[in-house]
Amino acid sequence: MHWKTRQRLVTWALGTLTIGFLLYQWLPILTLAVLSFSGPTGGTTFPMNGVSLHWYRELWAASFIGDFKPPLWRSFLLALACSGVTCVLSVASAQAMRARFAGHNAFFFLLLLGLMAPGLLVGFGFALLARLLGMEPAWNTTAFIVHVSWTLPFGFLTMLAVFNRFDVKLEEAALTLGANRFVAFRRITLPIVLPGVIGAALFGFSLSYDEFARSMFTTGPDNTLPLAVLAQLDQQLTPELYAIGTATTLTSLLVILLTTTVLWLSRRRAAAR
Amino acid sequence: MAQLDLEIRSLRKRYGGFTAVDDVSLQVGQGQFVCLLGPSGCGKTTTLRCIAGLEEPDDGEILIGGRQVTHDPPWQRDIAMMFQDFALFPHMSIARQVGFGLEMLKRPKAEIRKRVAEVLAAFEIGGLAERRPASLSGGQRQRVALARAMITEPRILLLDEPIGALDYSLRETVMLELKQVQRRSGISFIWVTHDQNEAFSLGDLVVVMNHARIEQQGTPQEILQRPRTPFVAGFVQGNNVFRGRYTAAGAGHARVGAYLLPAGGPPPAEGAEASFSIRAELLRFNPPADWPNRLAARCLTVEYFGSIRRYILQGPDGALLKLDQFGAEPATIGVGEETVLGWRAADAVLHA
Amino acid sequence: MSTIPLRSPRAYLLALPAAAWMLTAVVAPTLLILWVSFWGGRAFSTASPLTTQNYERFLSNATYLQLVLDSLKQAALLMLLCGVLGYCIAYFLSMKLRNPRWRTALLLAFIIPFWTSALIRAIAWVPFLGVNGVINQALLWLGLADQPVEVFLYSRTGISMAQLSLYTLMASGPVMYMLAQIPPALREAAMTLKAPPLVVFWRVVFPLTLPGVVIGQVLVFLNVMADFATVATIGGNKIALLANLVLNFYEGSQIRAAAVVAVLLMLCMLAGVAAALRVVDIRRLGA
Repeated sequence: MHWKTRQRLVTWALGTLTIGFLLYQWLPILTLAVLSFSGPTGGTTFPMNGVSLHWYRELWAASFIGDFKPPLWRSFLLALACSGVTCVLSVASAQAMRARFAGHNAFFFLLLLGLMAPGLLVGFGFALLARLLGMEPAWNTTAFIVHVSWTLPFGFLTMLAVFNRFDVKLEEAALTLGANRFVAFRRITLPIVLPGVIGAALFGFSLSYDEFARSMFTTGPDNTLPLAVLAQLDQQLTPELYAIGTATTLTSLLVILLTTTVLWLSRRRAAAR
Repeated sequence: MAQLDLEIRSLRKRYGGFTAVDDVSLQVGQGQFVCLLGPSGCGKTTTLRCIAGLEEPDDGEILIGGRQVTHDPPWQRDIAMMFQDFALFPHMSIARQVGFGLEMLKRPKAEIRKRVAEVLAAFEIGGLAERRPASLSGGQRQRVALARAMITEPRILLLDEPIGALDYSLRETVMLELKQVQRRSGISFIWVTHDQNEAFSLGDLVVVMNHARIEQQGTPQEILQRPRTPFVAGFVQGNNVFRGRYTAAGAGHARVGAYLLPAGGPPPAEGAEASFSIRAELLRFNPPADWPNRLAARCLTVEYFGSIRRYILQGPDGALLKLDQFGAEPATIGVGEETVLGWRAADAVLHA
Repeated sequence: MSTIPLRSPRAYLLALPAAAWMLTAVVAPTLLILWVSFWGGRAFSTASPLTTQNYERFLSNATYLQLVLDSLKQAALLMLLCGVLGYCIAYFLSMKLRNPRWRTALLLAFIIPFWTSALIRAIAWVPFLGVNGVINQALLWLGLADQPVEVFLYSRTGISMAQLSLYTLMASGPVMYMLAQIPPALREAAMTLKAPPLVVFWRVVFPLTLPGVVIGQVLVFLNVMADFATVATIGGNKIALLANLVLNFYEGSQIRAAAVVAVLLMLCMLAGVAAALRVVDIRRLGA
């Protein structure tokens, strides 16, 4: 066989595999979305028996299943808090890494540990710790602490990558122009690394919002949204779950899309100026 | 006629709307040292990559050793290549690396080991056999890259800015060594560079390229003394370029603007825009009365390079001129002084 | 000189909150699990006598040992599948796909599901796999089966199918990163040295992506070992792996047993990471 034919065959085979896997990854999600719009007599699988917003209404009214609105609110607040803390701590710790202080390697691995350690073990261990200290587990105390240990490493790595690409000479220029370190950081460094900070915030929000392994052991009686979904799933799979899955997926996609668009627009406007 | 090592016939390569190589033809005899010279983006590297088979030309033919290879892949061509940053395999020891080409030719293991040892010794890098590229200096990497490319004794070695990554202080020694290696091996070298010092001190044949085309090819002396186009005259150092209307002046002479010069080649149309150049070392201060070309100028600055002293002057129309004198002679005029300079008609070169 | 000088003592101040947070929320709990797994008696108290009985009880139970083996087998299967598939996808996206616009589009299409909840994605597989699920309906419609196949939902096959879709990108990402690091000149150099494409791949490209492959394998291994949600969602209550056992023991208030399983899980993971580190030095990746 001619070598070009063979090359083309390999490309086609790999391309088919890639597209095939893409479909494999997307089909279930799309099916879930489609089924969430099935008619009142539709079940958890095809046929849909009509198209309606029935299951979304059911979800809102909470007539058959548990009410999802309070867990949703809790998850939202928790994610917001995690996002804020992740922002501040990841900028601080990435800035600290720039000084290459004695032990910065150990510090790096400590943060990496939060990424590698499975949520199941961290959650279980922290539940034990809380019990030992006599803390009552709750979504806004114990779960919050554990969530940040999960979101922080992602924000930290993001900021580390951003600072790696950051041109130190810009700060040096500011310092030679008479700015002190604090002013140089606030006026020069921070605006330049802002997209990274927003990325860290997004990571913080979405990781916490979707987290359930850690929450499982540390949330106490008032559930977060993923836990409520899991609890409902434990009883029975209903189309309301599809509705909530679709709604949250769409919401998070929308938030990401909005943030990136705003970021892109502001950068374009800055470039045009 | 002896077999050509390389023949290129009207090569063309386009990327979308951009033409990278346009109608390039070239003949390289056995064991020649050819330098492709030109500014970045002129198509010299693309030409080299077409010879290597790393790019497929849209049009034209490439023959290596008389064999048609235009559409053959790199691994089926009788070439080797040295890359700009040497492209050493970071995960292989130097010995493994240098033996790679022979391994691909499926030579017996014992023979490969023997040849690698010989070649490493010849390039004075025998002590590095078990090292990895990351631990080598720039000069050592360059030797490894050369050894790796030459071990299979290809017909042609292609070199893409091969000493551009080296320290300035190293370059001259490396150039001398490479020239000797080329002579001894009898392998044709095609050397791509944007540095005219490299091209003129190394090349048997220098090919000057610009905007995807060959502007001029010839020996270094031909190109330096008789630049064929205004681009070549401006690109190589030491030329003063003048423009003006062309008028015939009889007796094998012509005028461009006010200046007299030999009417070489097919003459341009009467009254057309033309250009000519005169080398800086052929200009004289206070020329003899019988020199036809003279003009008043003011000295702006004097540059001293040891072997030569260069005066930068401004003519009456504001154009900058350069005039070279031997560095050993005392300076003739100082900065700010007014003077007259001139040249012989025969020394000026009319451009095509 | 920058806004923070080298070795500035203020760095400690900046690093302290994050370090304290991670020590409290990750390191201390992990060590506590180890301690609790050796507690004797029945009370939840630091005064508990230390004993190895918890381990002896667990390790003498053949069912549990089988579970450890099953978990490792599941991880190995997924490492193989995700590794091969992930490598192919990474290779296609970074080496074969030339059009940058298509590449960005495809990358986005791969990453977007990654941003959505793993739980929702696991649930999404349920309507696919059931007896009346999409796959069975498709098989019947295509005439490939004359009655619904029951192997998908509540089975290892179904779990593997869902996990494959969840974790392949973890194997793919690091490889994609490593592929992007390879200068094109290296492949070209090999070609001019007479290596045909397949040899270029085996001798140059693959060895240079090996660190990415290993990192990907570690990520898949860790995630499959710790994955209880997919197993619970798709396996129902019929199938449990090591991670589910931790949860089951915990919910059954058998704290010590849960700690023992957690420690065994940790040991498996540490062994996996250690084995991977023998192959590649993760710290060198950044350089």
